[in-house]
Amino acid sequence: QEVSLKFQSSDPSGDPNYQLYKEWADGVSEETGGKVSIELLPVGAVVDFQETLDAVGAGILDGHVTDTSYFAGKDAAFGLIANPVGAWSDPQQMLKFFNEGGGKELMNDLVEPYGTHFFGGTTPGLEAFVSKVPIEGVDDLQGLKLRAPAGLVQNIFAAAGASPVNLPTSEVFTALDKGVVDAADYSVFHVNQAQGLNKIAPHPVFPGFHSMPLIEFSMNKQKWDALPEDVQTTLEESVVELAQHQNAALADKNAKAVEEAKAQGATVHDWSDEERAKFRKIAIGEWEKQAAASENAQKVYDTLTAYLEKEGLLKAQ
Amino acid sequence: MTRDPVAVDGNDPDLRSTSEGTGDTVPEAGALGRGIEWIGYVFAAAIVASAAALLFEIFMRYVLDSPTNWVHETSIFLCAIAFIYGGLFCAARDSHIRVVLIYDALGPRVRAVLDVIIYVISAISAAFFAWASWLMVETSFWNPSGAFHMEGTGSAWNPPTPALLKGFLLIVMIVLAIQFIVLAVNHARQRGSRQDA
Amino acid sequence: MFLMLFGLLLTGMPLAFVTLLVALIFAIGWFGPMAVPLITSRVFSFVSSFIFVSVPMFVLMAAILDRSGIARDLFDAMKLISNRVRGGVAIQTIFVAVILAAMSGIIGGEIVLLGLLALPQMLRLGYDRSLAIGVVCAGGALGTMIPPSIVLIVYGLAANVSIGDLFTASFLPGVMLAGFYVLYVLFRAYFTKGVVPDPDPEIIPLAEKIALLKGLILPLLVVTFVLGSIYGGIASVTEASAIGVGGVLLATVVRGEFTFQLLRGAAMQTLATVGMIVWIGIGASAIVGVFNLMGGIDFVSSLIIGISDEPLYVLLFMMLILFVLGMFLDWVGIALLTLPIFVPIIVELGYDPVWFGVLFCMNMQVSFLSPPFGPAAFYLKSVAPPDISLGDIFRALLPFIGLQILALAILIMFPGITGR
Ligand code: NA
Ligand code: NA
Repeated sequence: QEVSLKFQSSDPSGDPNYQLYKEWADGVSEETGGKVSIELLPVGAVVDFQETLDAVGAGILDGHVTDTSYFAGKDAAFGLIANPVGAWSDPQQMLKFFNEGGGKELMNDLVEPYGTHFFGGTTPGLEAFVSKVPIEGVDDLQGLKLRAPAGLVQNIFAAAGASPVNLPTSEVFTALDKGVVDAADYSVFHVNQAQGLNKIAPHPVFPGFHSMPLIEFSMNKQKWDALPEDVQTTLEESVVELAQHQNAALADKNAKAVEEAKAQGATVHDWSDEERAKFRKIAIGEWEKQAAASENAQKVYDTLTAYLEKEGLLKAQ
Repeated sequence: MTRDPVAVDGNDPDLRSTSEGTGDTVPEAGALGRGIEWIGYVFAAAIVASAAALLFEIFMRYVLDSPTNWVHETSIFLCAIAFIYGGLFCAARDSHIRVVLIYDALGPRVRAVLDVIIYVISAISAAFFAWASWLMVETSFWNPSGAFHMEGTGSAWNPPTPALLKGFLLIVMIVLAIQFIVLAVNHARQRGSRQDA
Repeated sequence: MFLMLFGLLLTGMPLAFVTLLVALIFAIGWFGPMAVPLITSRVFSFVSSFIFVSVPMFVLMAAILDRSGIARDLFDAMKLISNRVRGGVAIQTIFVAVILAAMSGIIGGEIVLLGLLALPQMLRLGYDRSLAIGVVCAGGALGTMIPPSIVLIVYGLAANVSIGDLFTASFLPGVMLAGFYVLYVLFRAYFTKGVVPDPDPEIIPLAEKIALLKGLILPLLVVTFVLGSIYGGIASVTEASAIGVGGVLLATVVRGEFTFQLLRGAAMQTLATVGMIVWIGIGASAIVGVFNLMGGIDFVSSLIIGISDEPLYVLLFMMLILFVLGMFLDWVGIALLTLPIFVPIIVELGYDPVWFGVLFCMNMQVSFLSPPFGPAAFYLKSVAPPDISLGDIFRALLPFIGLQILALAILIMFPGITGR
């Protein structure tokens, strides 16, 4: 007897990440030996992206593949765990935290009260920094006019000494071109490259040092609990596999894009571990403020900083 | 010189069924309908306030170079309450768009019966939506542990507007259900008195 | 589901409530009462989308414009270029309609304005009644074809394409359609006897000419600001719409026409208009959500795609559906019911969704004029002399519907006109 489930993604159907998640969903039936099939729906198909947590909890949808920070309005903890700006320098660091470092258990402490169960996470990748001027470290951020979306990202850049401006995504290109801003938090390297940002701002920082969103795979808790244990394990493993696959694909595209950018005359800057740790220290100061917003946010803060400490990611020599 | 061309012939029955905002509250809407029309000023003002807020943001961003973090969410909220209220407002004016192709061809008596049935069904649906809105209000005003926490937008400013909007939707759905009952009763009464005559 | 939808529609139940009711019945029938919050959740999300903020702004702008004397001055100023050719006043009306269309995004106000300003003058001068009516209705309807346009905005939202791109792409087609109207008027004026009076070139003194030209300044400033800020990439469409409100309001102040009553009347009309538009959107959005959960979009899509292997036939089939719906439904309902199904198919067939948006918009031009549900006719009827019946108006509109269909066919044959 096949259980068929409906999941909603927070990406539109044309997005390359959606295509990857769709492949994952289509593969589930075969991997579980026909016990479970998943139909993936694009963003907004059944409910809005900010409403999927409630809809999955109520059993209207069976699951969702979504950026956890969309639920920050319900609990600041979701914003902090989904994108602790500055925490990670590599997707592998983050995936390790969720798979082995207690991240999965922490997520379930957060989402299970809402009636959902987290069974895996991935990321579309570490965003690359777009800049018109060379940025080699935290000191170069002083007084830099840059675009950053409202929220934690903006607060952290402000704490680092930059003057962040909140502009809609659609206006980043013109703002950089006209010199309204000199740098921008935008997207992963190959997307920045495809949209021509590295041409008008030829000093990208890659790999980036700031945003890397968590994409969570969760489903209705009752329906999860009703699944046989071997199916649960298969589903968990399938997401781990997907994350590695997505990562490899991204690295591939980024590598090509870096070559292309260099050929166009861009200088790609890479921060040293010391500078990354310096930025992370500043970021943690802002996380601390976020942590005060709720008990759960404090829990995320404590777990995350303890983990970073243990992994040696806080050492600035 | 000010003119009000659209309002002059606002009670034209054909115009009532288009999407361009003409007409007045129908007598069958009763005292409740008049109240809805009167309170409508508040929400019409919300639209103007929203325009003013957006102009302020444009001034701050392009002239003073210091964008605000509250204008977008404020203008969304102001328009959203006007949108929700607008549905109730049009129900009281009976100005929601309808297809009158067959309806117009019917005799007045059949039409009156049809009106009553339509309003009763509409009232039942509105009651269902009020109940569903209540379920949303529960999750947006209290967190799962039962503590009071109003759902915010999750931005840096994080105003509790999602919770407020969901609460407002609940209130409007309840009033809408009552308004439909009032309309149904008044239409049924009219039919009764017409038969007596 | 669609049968139930149309069945209920024909009872005369308001469209917004029909769609909500059908969504409710299917949510409960298919999934049980626990699925009902899906509908209220969609209602909440729909009303809190930022881009929808531009809808009340454009409506408010038009409502203020209608109440000021700006449009009347514009009409008088256009006398300067029109009193030398046969059919001059009709052509002048179309020119004014185009400029008004470039300022506002809805049609009702324009048709009423032209109906009050131009129609009596044409009838007095002895213009053929049908020609005069057609020019006013078709010209006024240009409000949603020439940007800014509420139809294109709603299309952009539904289809997830750039509203700026839609505006840019629809500009030439809109002017082309207006050009067809002008050519038609000239053709009738020069080839059919008695349709228009002989021109009477009155000599306008220079001082008066200058005074008349002043009437052009404010409207042109508003147009420049609104369109300039959109095309110049300075402001988003929503912000540009607020600039439009500010500009028109400022113009009324400059002209000494601003009163609290004017603003209040305009705002109340806006509330009623957006209440209707948004609630139709709410209902359609609810149905789409339930339909998607049932797996229905795939079903209807495959039906439409199954029409033919030839993309062109599928496209023409969609145009036919839009045309038929346009006879019975307001454009908002058509947009929100059909676009979630049509647009993905269009993209899959390899067509450009922006170009399709212009086709959709042109098709909605037809829907304003086509009987039995023709909003343009209803608007004109509300201000026309009582001896002009709705039947007269609809008959007068037939040649103009023909011109619109011609324009649509040309857009399909030569997509390049949209610049895409
Ligand atoms: Na327009
Ligand atoms: Na029509």
